[in-house]
Amino acid sequence: MGGERGNGANSERGRSRFRNLWKPYSRVPLLGWFFGALVAVTLERLAGTPLAQFLGLQKIPVLFGFSVMLKNPVLIPNVILYTLIIYGVPTAVATRLCIPLANGIAASLFRFPMAVTAAAHLALLYAILHVWAEISDYRVLVLRLTLIAVMLTLSLNVINGYMGEFSCSHPGFMALGAYCASVLTIGLFVNAQLLGTASLPAALGPFLFPVALILGGLVASFGALFVAIPSFRTRGDYLAIISLAFLFIVKSLIENLEFVRGPRGLSGQPDWADLPTVFLWTVLCVWSINNFVRSTIGKALNAVRDNEMAADAMTVDTRRTKMVAFLFGAFWAGVAGGLFAHVMRYVNPGNFGIQNLAEVLAMVYFGGLNSVYGSIVGAVSISLLGEALRPLEIFKWIIIPLLLILVMIFRPTGLIAFRDLDVANLLKPKPKPDGEG
Amino acid sequence: MVIFLQNLVNALQWGSFYALIALGYSMVYSILMLFNFAHGDIFMVGSYIGFGVSMGLIALASSGVVALPNWLILVLTILFSMFLTSFVGMIVERVGYRPLRDAPRASAAITGLMIGIILETGNLALLGARRVSFPSLIETTTYNVSGVFVTNKKIMIVLVSLLLALALHQFVRRTKWGMAMRAMAFDFAVVPLMGVPLNTMAALTFALGSALAAAAGILFGVAYPVLDPYMGIVFGWKAFVAAILGGRGSVMGATLAGFLLGFTEIFVAMIFPSTLRDLIAYSIILLILAIRPHGFFGEPYSARLRL
Amino acid sequence: MTSPFLQVRNMSHDFGGLRAVRDYNLEIGSGQIRGLIGPNGAGKTTVFNLITGIYKPGHGEIFLDGRKIDGLPPHRIASLGVSRTFQNLLLWRHMTVIEHVKLAHYSKIRYGLFAAFIGTPGHNREEAEIEEKAVRLLDMMGIRHLADQVVLNLPYGAQRRVEMARALATEPRILLLDEPTAGMNPEELVQIMEIIRRAHKELGLAILLIEHRMKVVMELCERIQTLDFGAVIAEGTPEEIQNNPRVIDAYLGKERAI
Repeated sequence: MGGERGNGANSERGRSRFRNLWKPYSRVPLLGWFFGALVAVTLERLAGTPLAQFLGLQKIPVLFGFSVMLKNPVLIPNVILYTLIIYGVPTAVATRLCIPLANGIAASLFRFPMAVTAAAHLALLYAILHVWAEISDYRVLVLRLTLIAVMLTLSLNVINGYMGEFSCSHPGFMALGAYCASVLTIGLFVNAQLLGTASLPAALGPFLFPVALILGGLVASFGALFVAIPSFRTRGDYLAIISLAFLFIVKSLIENLEFVRGPRGLSGQPDWADLPTVFLWTVLCVWSINNFVRSTIGKALNAVRDNEMAADAMTVDTRRTKMVAFLFGAFWAGVAGGLFAHVMRYVNPGNFGIQNLAEVLAMVYFGGLNSVYGSIVGAVSISLLGEALRPLEIFKWIIIPLLLILVMIFRPTGLIAFRDLDVANLLKPKPKPDGEG
Repeated sequence: MVIFLQNLVNALQWGSFYALIALGYSMVYSILMLFNFAHGDIFMVGSYIGFGVSMGLIALASSGVVALPNWLILVLTILFSMFLTSFVGMIVERVGYRPLRDAPRASAAITGLMIGIILETGNLALLGARRVSFPSLIETTTYNVSGVFVTNKKIMIVLVSLLLALALHQFVRRTKWGMAMRAMAFDFAVVPLMGVPLNTMAALTFALGSALAAAAGILFGVAYPVLDPYMGIVFGWKAFVAAILGGRGSVMGATLAGFLLGFTEIFVAMIFPSTLRDLIAYSIILLILAIRPHGFFGEPYSARLRL
Repeated sequence: MTSPFLQVRNMSHDFGGLRAVRDYNLEIGSGQIRGLIGPNGAGKTTVFNLITGIYKPGHGEIFLDGRKIDGLPPHRIASLGVSRTFQNLLLWRHMTVIEHVKLAHYSKIRYGLFAAFIGTPGHNREEAEIEEKAVRLLDMMGIRHLADQVVLNLPYGAQRRVEMARALATEPRILLLDEPTAGMNPEELVQIMEIIRRAHKELGLAILLIEHRMKVVMELCERIQTLDFGAVIAEGTPEEIQNNPRVIDAYLGKERAI
C-alpha cells in the first residue's frame, strides 16, 4: 500500500487507503469479474453445504438467504457471513489476482471479430449460471423465470420506452405466444385428450421447439397489428385504451376456446425449456433488440416518440417505424410467453391479465426506459425481489410497490434510463494507464 | 320486448356504477392531465369505508342513543363515506402525485398503479381474506311494470347517480371553483398564473372524484353486498376506458360513456353467451375508437401518456 | 428559363371556414433563393406545411422536378429532396446531436430490418458511412464538438444549428427555412446567414426562406413574395418589394379590421 500522506488526520489516511484498495478494481475487465464469479459459485458447489452447516445454517441458502433471514431474523449474521465467505471474498480476491491474466485474455479475444468475443463471454456467463443453479431445482426455476422476465421487459421497453407509447397489450402478446406454442408442442408431440394423439415422434421434439416458439412469436406479431394500425391515427391516451381493450379481448378469447380448455388452462407441455434453451433465447432477444435500437432505423423510434412531425419531415417513414416497433416487441413477448408456458408446463388465461400487466410495467419503469441495461436491471431486480420477499407473503405487495413509487419520485424515467449498451465498450480489456507502475 | 326492457333497467343500474367512477377518472384526467390508476381502488376503499360507517351507525341506532331509521342510516352512510373517502383521495394526491407533478405523465401513471396495489394489499392485510357483507338497509320491494321487474334498489341507484352527476355538473358550471376547473381543463398552465393555487385545485379535484367513487362503492354495496379487496380492479380499468371514450373535459361525456359501457356489457350478455361478454363488448369499443378516435365530446386534445 | 425545380400552381387551402391560403403560385429554379414575407398569420408556414405534405392542398397542384407531389405523404416528399426547418425548432429532446443528423439519412438506408436485427457486416459498414457523413456535416456547421450532447441541454444558438444540420443531412435539393434567425443576436445572425450562403453555394440548393428580418431577406434573396391573408400581394426583387406600398400597408396596417 503505497502513497500514504504523512500529515493529515486518520480519516484522510483511512479514505486514501480505501481508495487504494478499490483502485485496482477499476482495471478489471468484464472477463475478470466473470472469472471471480465462477470461482465463487464453484466454491459454493464444492464446499457450500459443509460451510453452511458450520455456520449454523441447515443447508445452502437458495436465494442469497433472504427467506432464511426473513423467517429467522436471529440467523441474519450467519447468512451475511456465509454470503461474504462464499460470494464476496472469493470474487474479490480471485478478480484482483487475475487482473493481468484477464486483461490479457480479453485483449487477445478482442482481436477476433466481436461475435467470437461475445460468444466467449456468454459461454462463461452461462457456466456461472449453470454451476450456481445446479444445487437446487428452485434456483433453476427462478433463473429461467428471471431470464424470461428480461425478455418481456426489454420487448415492452421497445414499445413503451424507445417509442414512448403507453401500451397495455403486452400480456396479450405473451398469451398468444404461450398458447400457440403450447398447442403446437402438445398437439404434435403429446398424447393429449383434447388435441389428439401425438403425430410426431418425441425425438424430433427439441429440434422443433424453436419452430413452435417462433410461430408463437409470429402469431403475437399478427395480434400486434390490432394495436399498431390504430396507432397510425391515434397516439397516447387513446392508444392506451385500445391496447387495454386488446388485452381484455385476447383474455376473453382464450377463456372461450374450448379446445384449449378455456379458463381451466392448458397443461402438459413437454419439458423442453431447460436452462440452456431459455438462456440462448434470452441472449438472442437482447442481442437482436440491442442491435436494432442502436442502428439508425432503430433510432427512428425515438424520433417518432419525441416529435412525429419532425420525423416525417426528415424522411422517416413513421408508419413503418410504428409497425416495426409493435410487431418486433410483440414477437419477443410471444416467444417469452411460449418459453414461460414450457417452464411452468401449465398456462391459464389468468396468467395474462391485469396483474401481469402491472408486473411487467413495473419492471420496465423501475429499470429504466429506453435502455437495454435498464430492462435487464429492472427485470432481474423485481423478479429476484419478488422471490426473495416471498416469506413476507402479502407484505411483498406493499414493499415492491413502495419501492417503485420511490424510484418514480426520485428518478421518474427509471433507474438506468436512456443508456446505450455498447457491446465493444463492455467487453474491452482495461489495460494499465500509461505512467503507472 | 319485456326482456329488452328488463335488460334496459339492469343496464341503467350497471351503467350508473361505471358512470360515477368514470366521472372521477375524467375529472382528474381533464383538469390535472393525469390518470389516476388507483381510482378503482379508491372505489373499493369507499365501499369498505361505507361498510364501516354503516355498521357504526347501526350499532349506534341499536344501542338506543339515537333513533335512526334505516333509510337515514343509508343517507348518512353515503354522505359520511363520501366525505371520508375524499380525504383518502387527497392523501393519495399529496403522497403519490404531487411529487411527480413535473415528471413525465407515464411515471405518474405507474405510481398510481402502485398505490392501487398498496391499497388492495393494505385492505387484505388489515381485514384478512374473509369477505365482508354490506348490511342490508333497504327492504327490497319489487315493482312489476307490465312484466318488467324493477326493484326499488335499482331505481334508487340510478336516481342517486344521476343526481350526483347533475350536482357535479352544476358545481362545475356555477361555482368559482368549478370555473377554475373548467379553465384548467382548457389550459392547464395558465390558471395557476392567475392566482389560483395549483395544490388546492389538485386536492379539490381528487376530493370530488374520490367522493363520487365512494358513492359508487356504497351503491354497489347496496346492489351486490359482498365486498372484496379486488373489486376495484376490473371496474377501475373499465371505467378508465369509459372516461377516455367520453372525451376530455366533459362531465356529460364521461357520464354518457359510463352508461354506454354498462349498456354494451349488459346487452351483449343478453344476446350472446355470457362468457363472450368481454370479448364482444370490447371489440365494439375498439370499433367505436377506430371510427371516432377522439372520444365523444370534449376537446380533441391529443393528450399523451408520454415521456 | 429552364423548367422550374419546384412549381406550385393555384394552390388554395381551407381550415374549417377560413381560407388560409388562396391561389398561391410559386416557381423556383434549382439553385435560386426566394423569400416569403408577410405579417404574422399571413399563411407563410401553412404554405410550407402544404408543400411538405403535412396537409393535402384543398386546391391546386405542386410539382417537384416535373413530378406531382401534392397528396404524397410527408416522408416521401422529404425523401424526394424537399427539406425544411421549423419555426419552433422541433428537435428530438432525448436524442444527441449526431443522432439527429444521422436519422435524416433514413430514406437512403439500404440495409433491411433483418440486417439491423442481426448486425450484418453490410449493416455495420453502412452505419459507419452514415456516421462519417454526419460528422462532416457537423463540421460544416461548426458543432462537431457537441456531437454526443443531448439537444435538450444545448443553448438556443447551437440548437438552431442542429436543426439546420439535420435538414441538410437529408441531402435535399430544396430547403425551406422557416424563420431561421428567430431569437438570434446580431453575432449569431451573421453566422447563420453565412451558413445559409454556404449551403446555397457549396451544395447548390434552392432555398425558400420565411423571414421577418428585412435585412436578412433583402441580402439573401433574389426574388421575394409577400403574403397577406393567404394571398400573394406583391412579388419582385428586393428593391421592388421594399418600395411597394401594398407591402408597407400590410405590415403597418392602415385602417384594417382584423
